[in-house]
Amino acid sequence: MAQQQKVYTDGLSKMMQWIEHYTNVALTSKYNPFYYHGAIPQFFLWVLFLSGLLLFGYYIPTIDSAYSSKELINAFTSVDYITNKIPFGNVVRGIHRYAGDAMVLTIVLHAIRVWFTDRYRQYRWLQWFTGVILLILVLFIGQTGYYLVWDERSLVLTRMTVTALEAIPVLGQALKAWFINGSAITNLTLSNYLFIHIGLSFFLLFGLWLHYVRMARPVVTPPPVINYALVAIVLVFVFFFPIHMEKMAVLTTQPTEFEMDWFFLWPYYMLTKMDPTTYWVVISGITLFFTFLPLPFLVEAASGKVEPFDPAEVVGDKCTGCSLCDKDCPYEAIEMVPAPAGSRFKLRATVLPNRCSGCGLCVGACAFDAIDLPEQPDGEVTNKIKALLSQS
Amino acid sequence: MTKIMTLICERSCDLSNQVDSQSQFKDMPGCYVVKFPCSGMIQPLMIEAALKNGADGVVVTGCQIGDCYFREGNKMIRERLLGERPPGLKKTVDRRRVIGLWLSKVQPQRLLKEVKDFKDEVAKLAAPEATK
Repeated sequence: MAQQQKVYTDGLSKMMQWIEHYTNVALTSKYNPFYYHGAIPQFFLWVLFLSGLLLFGYYIPTIDSAYSSKELINAFTSVDYITNKIPFGNVVRGIHRYAGDAMVLTIVLHAIRVWFTDRYRQYRWLQWFTGVILLILVLFIGQTGYYLVWDERSLVLTRMTVTALEAIPVLGQALKAWFINGSAITNLTLSNYLFIHIGLSFFLLFGLWLHYVRMARPVVTPPPVINYALVAIVLVFVFFFPIHMEKMAVLTTQPTEFEMDWFFLWPYYMLTKMDPTTYWVVISGITLFFTFLPLPFLVEAASGKVEPFDPAEVVGDKCTGCSLCDKDCPYEAIEMVPAPAGSRFKLRATVLPNRCSGCGLCVGACAFDAIDLPEQPDGEVTNKIKALLSQS
Repeated sequence: MTKIMTLICERSCDLSNQVDSQSQFKDMPGCYVVKFPCSGMIQPLMIEAALKNGADGVVVTGCQIGDCYFREGNKMIRERLLGERPPGLKKTVDRRRVIGLWLSKVQPQRLLKEVKDFKDEVAKLAAPEATK
C-alpha cells in the first residue's frame, strides 16, 4: 500500500485496540459503542431536538413584560414555570441540559477515535473540516442555551461576551450590536438569543449533510439497545444531579459568580484568565490548528511530494457498465458515465481520483476483472494464489 | 497435504510474527496467506480460483464487523459470502470449504487456532472435485 497510510502501532494505539477488544468480548461487535462513535452524537442531536421542542412550547423570550398582569412574565419565570409547575418539566429540562453535555463529550471522543485510527485526512479531509466547524457550532449553540435561562449566570455570560466582542478590531461594535440585538440589553436581546439557539441548531443539519456527503450509507443510528442505554445514562444524571437555577437576572446588579459547566462554558473560564485580545488569538489559534490538521497531507499530495494513494483504475474494454462498483464504493468515488461510441455497453465506470481511498472494494465488487488497484491488480493476486498453491 | 489459503485484510490480525517469507504460517505447512489492503477487495472469483488450483479450504479474514478502516469492506465481503450481495460465489462451490472470520488486530492467536481447526475439519472431507 501507499506509504502514507501508516498503521499506528505505538503504545497508546495498542491500548485503544485492547480496550476495543475487551469491549467486543463483553458486548459483541454489534453492540460495541466504539463502532457507533459518530452515530451517538447524532442520536443526542435528535434527543435535543425533541426535548428542545417541548421547552420551546412554554418559553417566553423577554426580560420583562411590564404591561402584562400583576405577575412578572419573562424568560426566567417561564423557565421557572417549566421547571416547577409543568409535570416532568424539570426532567425535560434536565434531559436537554445533560444530552447537550453528552453530545459535546461524544463528539470529542468521536474526534479522538478518528484521529487515533488515522481516519481523518487524505480523502476524508472534508469530514474532518466540517466536523471541527460542527463542534464549534455545537459549543456556541450550547452557550446560547445558557443565555436563554436569564438567571444571573446568563447576565454574567452576556456581559462577558459583549466585552470580548468589543475587543475585536473593526468588527467589534457590529458584532456586539448583532449579539445583543441593539445597543443595550432589551427584550430584543432574548429573542435574538432564541433565534440563534434554534436557527443554528437547524443549520447543524446542513453541516451534517456536508459531513456525510461523500460517504455512502453513513452509520447515523446506533442500535436501539445503545440508544436506550444512552437515554438511561442521561436520566441517571437528571435524577441524581437535578439542575437548579440561580437568581433571576436584574440588569442593575453586577453578579460575578456562577456555576460552571465545563462542557460548554470553558471559553468563559479562559476569558477570566486573560484579556480579550489574547483570548481571541488563542481561540482562533486552536480553531485554525484543528481545522487544518489534515492540510499538510493534502499539500504534500498536491505538490506531488508523496504519492497519496493510487486510485483504482477502470479497464475500459472490460467494463460492462453493471454499476456494482458504483453501488458498493463507500466513498462515492465512482461515477457511471455514458460509454464511448462503439462500445457494446451503455455505461462505463469512472473513478474520481480525489475521492478514492485505494481500498479496492470496487475490485471485490467487480465480476469482470474490469477495475484494478494499480499497485495490486487482481490478476497478479490470483496468480500469487495459484503460485503459492502449486508449491510442493 | 491439506492446503489452506487465508485471504486476509492487512489491518486485521497482526501476522508479522506468524508468517514466514514464503507467505506460509510458521508452524503449519500448507497454510498460505495472501494480504489485501481491505477484505472488501477479495473477489469471489479469487476464492474460486484458490479452490480450483488445489486449496482444500479458504479462510477469508477481515476486521471486526463495524470497524472497517475503509468503512464497509468487511461487511461487503461477508454479504458476498452469504449470497446477499452480488457478485457471490458460484453455486458449485463447496460451502464447507470457505469460512469467514472477523478479527481485530490483537487476535492473531485466535486466527491460528481457527485455521488449525478448519484444516482438520477440511481434511475429513473428500477431495474437492476440481482437483480430481
